[in-house]
Order: sequence, then structure tokens, then C-alpha cells
Amino acid sequence: MRLKQIKIVNFGQFSNKTFDLPSDQINVFFGANEAGKSTTVAFIKQVMFGFHLRSNASPFFEDYTPLAHVSPMGGSLVFENDDSEYELERLYAKGDKTKRGILTVKKDGQVVPENLFFDQIQNIDGSFYADSFIFNQEMLGQVTSLSQEDLLERIYYLGAANSGQLLKLRDDFAKEAGKLFKKTGKKPEVNRLLKQIETDRDQLAQTKAEFSDYEKLAQDLKDYKDRLRKAQKALANIQNKQASLRELQKELSNYTTLLDLQKQIKDIKFDSENYQKAQDLMAQGRNLQKMMQSLQEQLSSLTDNEINDVAESKKVVQQKPQLLQWQAEYRNCLQKADQLKQEKEQLLALSPEINQLLDLQTDDIKQLKEDFLALPSKPNEEFNENSSSDKIWYVVGAVLAVIGLILLGTAGVVGIIALIAGIGLAGFGYVKSEQANKQQAAILAKQKAVKDRRQAFYSKYNLDPDMLDLNSLLTNLNQYKLKESAEKTNSEQLNEINQKVAQLAANVQNIIRKPVDDGFDQILNGLDEIEEQINQQQELVQKKSNLSNALSQDKQDLEELNLQLKAVLAQANVEDMASYDAAYQEFLAQAKIKAQYDALEKNLHDDLDELKQEAKEPGKVLAQLQNLAAQATDTTKEIDALQAQVAKLQVQLDNLADSTAVFEAKQELANTETNFVNSSQEYLANLVVSRWISRSLDLASNERFPKMLSAAKEYFALLTGGRYVDIILDKKLTVTRKDGKKREVKYLSRGTAEQLYFALKLAFIEQIKDKINLPILIDDSFVNFDDRRIGYIKKLLEKVSENNQVLIFTAQEKLVDQLEISPLTFTKGTQDA
Amino acid sequence: MKFIHFADAHLDSPFRGLSFLPSKEFNQIYQAADQSLIRIVDLALAEKVDLVLIAGDTFDSAKPSPRSQLFFAEQIKRLTDAQIQVVMIFGNHDHMRREDLLVNQSPYFKLLGADEVVEKASFKTKDNFNYDVVGFSYLNNHITEDKIPDFPEKGQNYTFGLMHAQEKETDSRKNVYAPFTVAEVQALNYDYFALGHIHARRNLSEKPWIVYSGNIQGRHINEMGAKGCYLGVIDESTKKTSIEFKATGPILWQGVQVELDAPISKADLQNRIIASLNNAEQKTYFSLTIAGAQFMTEEEQELIQDTDFWQNISQNLLFDSQFVDVRLKISSNLELNENDQQAFEQAKSEIFKNDEFDQIVSDWKKMDPLSAQLAEDPAFIDAVKQLTEVKLMGKLKGITDETETN
Repeated sequence: MRLKQIKIVNFGQFSNKTFDLPSDQINVFFGANEAGKSTTVAFIKQVMFGFHLRSNASPFFEDYTPLAHVSPMGGSLVFENDDSEYELERLYAKGDKTKRGILTVKKDGQVVPENLFFDQIQNIDGSFYADSFIFNQEMLGQVTSLSQEDLLERIYYLGAANSGQLLKLRDDFAKEAGKLFKKTGKKPEVNRLLKQIETDRDQLAQTKAEFSDYEKLAQDLKDYKDRLRKAQKALANIQNKQASLRELQKELSNYTTLLDLQKQIKDIKFDSENYQKAQDLMAQGRNLQKMMQSLQEQLSSLTDNEINDVAESKKVVQQKPQLLQWQAEYRNCLQKADQLKQEKEQLLALSPEINQLLDLQTDDIKQLKEDFLALPSKPNEEFNENSSSDKIWYVVGAVLAVIGLILLGTAGVVGIIALIAGIGLAGFGYVKSEQANKQQAAILAKQKAVKDRRQAFYSKYNLDPDMLDLNSLLTNLNQYKLKESAEKTNSEQLNEINQKVAQLAANVQNIIRKPVDDGFDQILNGLDEIEEQINQQQELVQKKSNLSNALSQDKQDLEELNLQLKAVLAQANVEDMASYDAAYQEFLAQAKIKAQYDALEKNLHDDLDELKQEAKEPGKVLAQLQNLAAQATDTTKEIDALQAQVAKLQVQLDNLADSTAVFEAKQELANTETNFVNSSQEYLANLVVSRWISRSLDLASNERFPKMLSAAKEYFALLTGGRYVDIILDKKLTVTRKDGKKREVKYLSRGTAEQLYFALKLAFIEQIKDKINLPILIDDSFVNFDDRRIGYIKKLLEKVSENNQVLIFTAQEKLVDQLEISPLTFTKGTQDA
Repeated sequence: MKFIHFADAHLDSPFRGLSFLPSKEFNQIYQAADQSLIRIVDLALAEKVDLVLIAGDTFDSAKPSPRSQLFFAEQIKRLTDAQIQVVMIFGNHDHMRREDLLVNQSPYFKLLGADEVVEKASFKTKDNFNYDVVGFSYLNNHITEDKIPDFPEKGQNYTFGLMHAQEKETDSRKNVYAPFTVAEVQALNYDYFALGHIHARRNLSEKPWIVYSGNIQGRHINEMGAKGCYLGVIDESTKKTSIEFKATGPILWQGVQVELDAPISKADLQNRIIASLNNAEQKTYFSLTIAGAQFMTEEEQELIQDTDFWQNISQNLLFDSQFVDVRLKISSNLELNENDQQAFEQAKSEIFKNDEFDQIVSDWKKMDPLSAQLAEDPAFIDAVKQLTEVKLMGKLKGITDETETN
């Protein structure tokens, strides 16, 4: 795309100003400061991409007021491309809705849709254009903060869709990869696992030593076992020797005993049968003595219970029948007393008057008889009371009278008759009653005289003459007195019995020496007791007699035995049994000695000769034994130590044999390696993804970025006269000096930084030229370029301008001179036209 | 005659890729190879075999732990006590000295070709069937020369070859395990050539038999499927040999794929995973590949790569199986504009070119022999590649989604 003409209608300080651009390559605009160079640059940009309004802050060259008060504002640009001419006209008139201005695109004079033009520059926007194609002081200042991203995003914009997102993705993956692994570092997972693998390997190497340990242990064990076996054999030898020596020792001691026994042996005679006989006799004698002693004891125990006076006792006992007789009589007397008493009571009951007569003397009784017989008899007539029959008369008369009154009303005549009869009867009754009363008064007087006489009798004797049968009474009285007499006799008899009994009781009491009442039963018991005592006494006497007989028999027997014993002892020629016993003991001891001797002799028989020899050196065997014991102790100690060692080694071997340490160490390592493999895969996948995206973007953008980088390197070298040889565009921008040293951009001099910026930007433009080919606008950018640098940049611009049209706006005459191009100038006259 | 051929027991070697498992799980892991060996010996006793061939790498290292040595000795004793001939060689891992091996001396135990010298040993079965075993043991971890020319010509007897070795490759740096060619071995025409070293079971040739029995217990996700030994039966009159694989490894590693063709809810995803993992017939460690991972949300992707989530899933599995690995696969590219699409494709092919990838990983690669080794490991690179794709596609999807809504 070549800019042929710039036609300003109204813009900034310009009105109706037209520049025709002579060159397709480099055009120079020369003008002093404030001549309108920057305004022109702004015009070109804004006509293509829209006017800038104050409300939109902009980083550079638009921060003045482009909109004049004149209207319409704007103008047009004429481009030439592939034999076609595009005219872009943008005008803004007051009242227009859009403040970007209204764009009209004409192709070869025909109005066409604006896309027809913009499609050819990939529809970039204003900032893309400004960032990429416009060079000025402000833009140059940004070089220090320039990063790969800025360039990449713009460059990839031309290739893959969503390049921004892809770039972010790429960086995310790279970042993830960076987290997992760093070339130097300890913390990232992969690094950490590498360290772990080393540790695990060391561990495994150590556990693998198990096998050599095992072999060494096995060898040691074998050695120790051999030594142990030898020591055990040696010990067994010693023990055998010890055993045989001990045997010899024992035989020697036996041999000594044998000799001793031999000395002790004596020849004695002893008649065992005779001795046995003596023993038997002794035993019999002892038995007899024992029996006699027993009899004697029985005898002395019997004499203790004797009664004093047997004759007296017997006499008392003989009185028992007498007592029984007395007892019977006594009972009869008591019965008789009762009987008499009852008879007396019966008499009294029959004639209670007896009591009144008991105190009377015989004369008194005679008087009584006379008195009684002199008494008048008792009147017999009865005084008849007739009042009752008299009254009947009255009653019947009244009844009749009443009936008559009643009948008077009903049966007239009968009633009157009855009435008269009734009255008549009542009158009769009255007469009769008067006669009876006169007779009764005479009788009563007579009776009163009799009664008085009888009363006097009663007072004298307290006997009712009316009731008294004097004969019968006197008979009974007589009877009664007889009974009293009988009672008296009976009572005397009782006393007599009691006295006799009391006497007997006293006798009994004396004999049995305990109190006895007068009661018959007690006395009888007492008599029984006495009788019993008499019987016992008789038995005792019998017993004593028997015992005495037996005792004297035993005595006889004993004497006989002693005689026999004496004979036997005499036969044995000993004085007494004790001596005989001693002789017997000696006989036994000799028999024992003989037996021992015989046994030992039989035992030792084979070795007797040897023993005879050994017995001559009694200390030798003992010394040998002591020596062997010391050896045995030493060997046992050695065996103990060896056994402990063997056991220890065996345990160690067993432990190793059971050990899974090697497997575990291997598995541990394998697991760590697995983790390492996984983390590495993760790391590598992230890394590869990031590279893949990167590479895809390069490819999609036709590898512009690598190409650009390589061009930029070339340009940078060119601009710095070969002082810098490389540009590394990573997270940070770094350059390499000719001597190989690397420098970050922020440490570069301003001049070098500008050169770098220039190189990068131009390289970029060059790389996108096939897609976007627009004029490069350089606005007074070389202010810091010295002569030599201007020389370098001239070369570069000439190179770039082969592809892109370059518009240089400068106030430096030197540059204009050096470029050897006649410049377009900003003449004052055209201003404010 | 009957024989058993096994190799690469790697006793005491760890399992890989399980660092997140609870520690009790490692008790089973630690016993897994032991268990497999016990089962092989059980099989030998039950089948009354005449010969057991052990083709190297019995132990994981040249200094095996006493525990594994004693264990191995005990198992060998079971065989020799039953008068079963055992012929064993050392491999590149257990390149030990004969005297360091704790196996008891027995006429029925033979360590073949000590000091890396090819040795021929002749034996006779109880039925008087004569056979030879020819082979050599490692004394160092590498043997660079081809040992086949040292092998003697086949004689009258039935002949076994016994070797721990790897086929010759074009990259000579890799030819450090007694490199051989199949043609060479075929030319020897031994009746049965028992190989060790390669952990995947494989027949290099059937006439004559040249056989890798594989290892006896898978130890990581690249050692999938049933592991065990070969039981061979020889017709003594015709010398014709038939072999049958016998699985003995107690823990199986298994890959399972779930394919997504549309977005899926978290619950449905979980159910599909459990369903796909519930076909175990023994204790299994599962690696799950989710194809069409682009249909998963970022959250789902994160969840499914969380080991706690794996543990939760594992609780639903049979035989105490474990969900131990997830791989996400993007099955188709996103709809980018043509230019971008092209750029991303081209960038991808460039980035994963060896040199370029090497340059990217260079800082990391320098850190440790392990990282250096991983940087050369195609499986590792592939995993990084897949992870890279998943990560990028997940994000690009976000961008394009945004663009669309905009």
C-alpha cells in the first residue's frame, strides 16, 4: 500500500493543505518544531481509523486538540495498491452523530464498502497501526517495557484465531511445567522426587548388602559350630576320664572298708534256740507279773465300799411286814373316821333339833318330856268363810235383773219375770250373810287361849311344839351320842400307829444316813435301799474271795517260770538275761559285718589286685580328679561362650532369612520412580503443550515470529555496528553483546535501547508486510541518533523501504542531508487558509 | 518325557505404577512371584515331570536377598527331593557366581554354563530316555557377542537349548543380551530351545521349537495377561514335542477400553467403568483406556485421573482386583479453522520428532539416569504424547466453545 497524496481539508493548524508524495520508498517531511509534522502523522492515522476525541485518552500524539472549530474537519488520503487507487475521505461536521467522522472509500473513483480497503490490511485497528507503524519519541520510550507478549500477540494476530487466548494457554502450561520441574531447584515435584529416588537407591544399595552379610554370617556360624563341636568332644573326654577315676575312687574307699571289716570279724558261738527259749520265758514271766498286778489293783479297789452294821440293818429290814400292817390299819382308821362323821351328819340332817338338846342333862330331858305332854292340843275347827256363796246370790240376782231389763223391750213378759226374779235373789243373799258373821266371833276367842300356851313352850326350849315328835327326837339324840364315842376311840388308835411309824422312820434314817419322812412310801423306799446295800455287800465279799484265789495261783506260776529261766540261763552260761541279750547283740553285729564283707569282696573281686596297688598311693587319684575338674570347668566355659555366639549368629541369620527389606526397598524405589514417571509425564506434557501451542502459532502465523526475531537480530546488529549480536525474547527482553555477555534492556543506554526498539519494530513490519503493508511513519525519532548512528539507520531504512513506504518527519537538516532526498516542507502560507 | 520351561521369575522385584495403593496390597504383591513359583513346582510334582528348565533372571539382581535365595532353594529342594532334574542358567539380572547360589548340592540340580561358557550336560529319565541340555549363564550384566556359534551340533539325544538372550536388532547399542537371530537358532535344529529375557510369552519358531516362556508374574501395566510356564510333553519314540501354557501368576494385569462417543454424566461414566472392570476371573490390576476422552469435561478428566477415585472404583471389583491406571485417548481432532488445524497438526508432528522432543526434554533428561532412560522409552514418550494431546484438546475445546458462544 503506497500513500500517494495527503489532502487536508481542515485538521489542526492546517486548512486545504495537500502533499503529493513523490516516492514509493522514502519521503522526507522537513519542518521546524511546531510546523505541523506530528499533526500530519495524526491526520494520516485518524483518517484511516477514526478521529480521536478528547474523551478518549490516548498515549501519544493525540493529546492535543485535533478538532478545529472549522467545519467540516478532516480530509482524504490516496493509496495505491496493485494498480488500484483507493481514496479514503473522512469528514466530520458539527451535528454528526459519530465523532469518529464519516468515512468514504473510493476505489478508482467509485465509492465502495470500506471493507474492501480494510480487508487488505487484515482489519487492524488504530492502535495496532500506531504500535506497529508509527515511530516517535513516546513510542521509543516504551522500549524498556516491551515484552514478547506485545509483539507476539500482534504477530500472531495475523495467523491463528484466538491467538491471545492461545498465548495465555501456552503461558499457563509453561507456568505449570515450571512449577513441576526446574533445572535447579529442590521444591518442584519432579526435583523433589529425583532427590527421593537418590535416597531410595542408597537405601536399596544398603539393604542389598544383606546378601554379603548373610554369607559372612553363615561362614562365621559354620566356624563357630566347628569350634563348638570340638570343645564339646573335649569335654566329653574329660567327663569320661572323670567318671572312670571316680569309679576307681569309690572302689578304693570300698577296698578300705573291706580291710576294716576283715579286721572286725570274730568267731563266736551262739545258741539262738536257747536264746529264743529264754526270751519266751521272760515274756511269759512279764505277762504273769502284769496279770498279778492287775488282780491286786482290782482287789484294792473293792475294799472301799463296806457297810458298818449289817445286823442292825437286817433287823430294820425285817420290820417291813410290820410296817405294811400298820399302813393297812392306818387306812382303816381313816376310813372309819370318815364313816362316823358322815353318820353324825345324817343324824343331824334327820333331826336338826339335836343341836338344841346336846347340852341338856338327863333331868332336863325329863322335864322337857313332861312339859311337852302337858301342852293343850291344837284347835281343829276350821273357820268357814261363806262370803263367797253369799256373793253368788248377789251376782245371779243382778244378772237376772239386767236380762229382764233387756228382755223388757223385746219380750215384755219374760223380761219382767226375769227382773223380779233377779231382785228377789239379791235380797236373799243379804239375809244369809248376816247369820254367818255372828258364829265366827265365838270361835276366835277360844283359839287364842291355846295359842298362848304353845308359844310359851317354844320360848323355853326353842322347839316348835306343833312340829315336834319327841320320841323320835330322843332316839336320834341317843344315836348321835353313840357315834361321838366311837369317833374318839378311832382317833386314839391312829395316834398309836403314828407313833410306831415315827420310831421306825428314825431307825431307817440312821442307817441310810439321809432324812426320811414319816410317810409310809418313803420309809418303804428307805427299807428297799437298805436291803440293796446288804445285797451288794454280799456280792463284794464273793468277788474278793475269787480275786484272792486267782492271785495266789499266778504267784505260783511265776515262781515256776523263774525256775525254768534259771535253768536256761545256766545252760547258756550267762548270769542274767541282760548279759544274754548283750551276747545276742554281738552275735548280730558280727553277722552283719560278715555279710558286708562278703558283698564287698564279691563286688571288688576282679579289681582286688589293682586296688591293692592303688591303695599304696592314696593321693594320686584325687589329684588326677582335681586336675580333670579344672579342665572340665574351662572347657564348659568355652562351650557356653561358643553356644552364645552360635545362637546370636543363628538369630542374625534367621532375621536376614526372613527379611523382606530388599523387596521393600525395591518397592519403595519403584513407587518413587512411578511417582517420578507420573510427575515427569505431567511436567513434560505441560511443557510439550506449551511448545506445541507456540509452534502452532508460529506455523499459523507463517513463522513470522521466528523470522521476525532473526530479522530483528540482523537489524539490531546493523544499527549497533555489530556491537550486539543476539536478541533473546523470553519473559524479559535480553540482548547479547559481541563478547557474549547478556544484558537486560533496562540496563542498556538509551541510544542502544532505541536502536533495539527500532530493529524489533522494523523487523516486525517486515514480517507482516505480505499481510499488512502500510506506510511507516517516523516522527522525529532520531533525536538521539548521532551521525554514525544516522548512517546505520539510513542503511536500514533504505532496506526496509524496499518493501514498505517510509515517511520521515524531521526537523534535523543533518538527517535530510544524509538521506539525500529533497524534502517536502510545511510552508507557513498554507496555514489557516 | 515331560518338562517345564519357565524364566524371569524376578523374585523380590517390585511392582511398578502402584505407589498409591494401600500398604497391605504390597504384601500380596511381594508374594506374587513366590506364589507363582510355588505353583510351577506344584505343577511339576503333580505332572511328575522329568525336567525343569529355568532360563535365567530367577532373581531380580546379582545380589538377591537371603530371603529370596532361601525361598528358591526350598522350592528347588522340593523338586530334587522328588528326583526331578532341574537345569538352570543365570540371566542378565542374576549374573551371579555359582558359589553365591544357596541351592543345596544335589545330583538333580545343575547350574549350566558357568562363567558364560556354553556347556552341554547329558541326562537320562527314569525310563532311560537320554537327553542333552546346552546353554550358558551370565556372569556380567551384558553379553555382547552372539553365543550361538558356540553351541555344539545336535547329537543323537533329544536336545534342549537353554539361553537368556534377545534377538539381534539394527541398533547395535541394544545388542547386549547375547544377540541372536532366529535363523541361526533354527539352523542348530535343537528339539526345544528354551529362552528367557523377554517377558512376553512368544514362540519364535515351532519347527523346531524356539520359545520365550515369558515371566511368571506381570509386574507392571506393560506386562499384561496370564503369566506362568510351559509344560512340554515329548513323544519318546518320535521325539515330537507338544507344549501347553500353564498360568500360575496370582495377579493379572489387564487392559480394558471404554469408548465414548458423546458426553457422559459422571455417574454414567463411573457405572460404565465398573461394568467394564468387572470381568475378572482372578485378582487383576486394571489399566483403563478411555477413547473419546474429548467428550469428557475437564472435571471428569481430573476425577478419573485421581487415585482416590480409582480406590473407590476398586471397592466394587471382584477378587480384590484393583483399578491402577488410566489412559485417555483423543479419538478425533477438534474442529479448528483450517489454517489453525493445519498449524496444530504440523506442530504436533514436528514436536514429537525425536530431535525436537529430545530438545524439549533435554533439561529434564539430564537430571538422572532414569530420566535419560525414560526419554528413550517409546512407551513413556507415547504416554507423554497422549497426555499432551488430552491436555491441549481439553483446553482448545474450551476456547472453541467460547468462540462459538461468542
